[in-house]
Amino acid sequence: MLEVQHLHKVYPNGTVALTDVNFTVNDGEFLVIIGLSGSGKSTLLRCINRLIDPTAGKILWDGVDVTTAPAGELRRIRRQIGMVFQQFNLVKRSSVLTNVLAGRLGYANPYLSLLGIWPPAERERAQRALTRVGIADKAASRADALSGGQQQRVGIARALMQEPKLILADEPVASLDPVLAHSILQYLEQLNREEKITVICSLHFLDLVHRYATRVVALKDGQVVFTGLPQEIDRARFKEIYGEEAIEVRAGMAES
Amino acid sequence: MNSPARGAKLPRALRTILIVIGVLVAYVIAYRGSEVDFPRLIGSLGKGGPLMQDFLTPDLVTREIQPVTLQLALPVPCGSAPEGEVPASGPRLVPGVPCAELRDKFTVEGIDLAPNTELQLRWRLPSDQYFPGPFISTDADGHFSAEFEARPIVATKDGVPSKIEVELLVPVGGPKPSAAVFEVLDAIIVTIFMALVSTTAAVVVAVPLSFLAARNITRRGRAGTAIYYITRTTLSVFRSYEPIILATLFAFWVGFGPFAGAIALAIVTVASLGKLYSEAVENIDPGPMEALTATGANRLQVVLYGVVPQIVPDFLSFTIYHWDINVRISTIIGYVGGGGIGYYLAQMINTSQNNKAGTAIWAIVVVVWAMDFLSAEVRKRLA
Repeated sequence: MLEVQHLHKVYPNGTVALTDVNFTVNDGEFLVIIGLSGSGKSTLLRCINRLIDPTAGKILWDGVDVTTAPAGELRRIRRQIGMVFQQFNLVKRSSVLTNVLAGRLGYANPYLSLLGIWPPAERERAQRALTRVGIADKAASRADALSGGQQQRVGIARALMQEPKLILADEPVASLDPVLAHSILQYLEQLNREEKITVICSLHFLDLVHRYATRVVALKDGQVVFTGLPQEIDRARFKEIYGEEAIEVRAGMAES
Repeated sequence: MNSPARGAKLPRALRTILIVIGVLVAYVIAYRGSEVDFPRLIGSLGKGGPLMQDFLTPDLVTREIQPVTLQLALPVPCGSAPEGEVPASGPRLVPGVPCAELRDKFTVEGIDLAPNTELQLRWRLPSDQYFPGPFISTDADGHFSAEFEARPIVATKDGVPSKIEVELLVPVGGPKPSAAVFEVLDAIIVTIFMALVSTTAAVVVAVPLSFLAARNITRRGRAGTAIYYITRTTLSVFRSYEPIILATLFAFWVGFGPFAGAIALAIVTVASLGKLYSEAVENIDPGPMEALTATGANRLQVVLYGVVPQIVPDFLSFTIYHWDINVRISTIIGYVGGGGIGYYLAQMINTSQNNKAGTAIWAIVVVVWAMDFLSAEVRKRLA
């Protein structure tokens, strides 16, 4: 269980990114965070695994406060939390397999991993993760030789290497076309349902929110303006969250 | 509305004029300071000419020289022995008479000998001793003509005639690289390897320093910021030293020679590569670092897996580029006593062996060009 309590973030240049954010995520949820660009979605996700240090507030991960965890403890927390990024964040010049193996760094023997030595069991695990996202044959390719959708699948395989209890997905499909968007989100949904991995995902398109979310948190100017079920977001709510002039844009795929 | 705009315009025009005047004054001072003297440049062309010619005709080939004795039997008196046969071509002696009586005077010609050389004409007696004749000089075509006398001592004895004889130095065999070529080759290899050693040593030091001097790696917390600024400043300070000045300093310290030059070069290269490398590190895509940090990897792991693969091509390219630069610099360092081809060149110029200096100059040109070409090719491949 993840509890976010009174979270504040003010950047050194004075930008207020989050103001008194409170919500709870139960195990097994597919929580979608929505909001305009700059509403604080990315900051919120990065505070959860402390890629960004919050200014005030608490984040309890299974009862342990992430915000005050010392370095070693923080790394142990981080390795239980996979993360998927809008820009995939792969090492472009490295092979797909190396990118996936890198997801295991938090568990690996630090000295052997620095020499680039990986036990056969870990290599097999990486190969299985790639099979799982359907690109087993790309293991030896350079990461930048893959298409956007394939790169994001490498990103998911890398997160899988962590055997995560929680996956944070920061706009995972914003750089992809609608067809690919669904295929990527279906992988996340599958992990959520079959492996009981909690997913916290920020999304742009309302139809995707309706299709995948089990619960929604909406941010506006760094504040939570809505928490509830996806069906509850009607036109009125939508205008509240995105402003009066917003027009609902659909990702364009027929929903099944 | 108009007046403030006009008020702002006038000073701006004035400022432009002042800047133009300032620049002009700077150029006048610069022109006088560098003692520009075009008439002398043109008028003294003759002084530079021969030197230039020497430089342009490097000492490259040599031929092996062997003493060769030309002989021709000349019976005295006539009929006392068979007459010698004059060959049709090649270096040869041609006497005015096929044989001579005692006390006869006759001319002897030499044809196709070494030009402008001093020789001694002599008699080879039947006893195998020789009797010296006049010293003669060949002309530009390798020809001479001299008067010779048949003294009683040269008379035929037991049917063996005396021979007229001249000793020549004749080049034999094909052209070979001259000694200068080998000396230059030795020296330029010293230079190339001096550059290689100093560049390699510099890389070993510069790589870790560059990470410390990279904002995105080091500048975290107070200690990190301090380390970042200290490293940056140190690199800047060392980069401002001219390698020649450092080389002179180290020459007094460890003695003149390639070692002093290599140390000087290494120090400057550390500073320069450290800066270039750190900028490459600062320009990486931060995404992978973020992603690997999120997996629970430690900082060293993040750098090795997330940063190093991104910077390897840049680092290699900068290193090769700097080796190329260092070959050039070490030539100049050599000139002030740092050994290698520069030192050789200085020695040759100081002892007026201008053809050998020319050989060195050509070698430098070829090597610098080759390094430039190679480094450009390799960098093209890495891009």
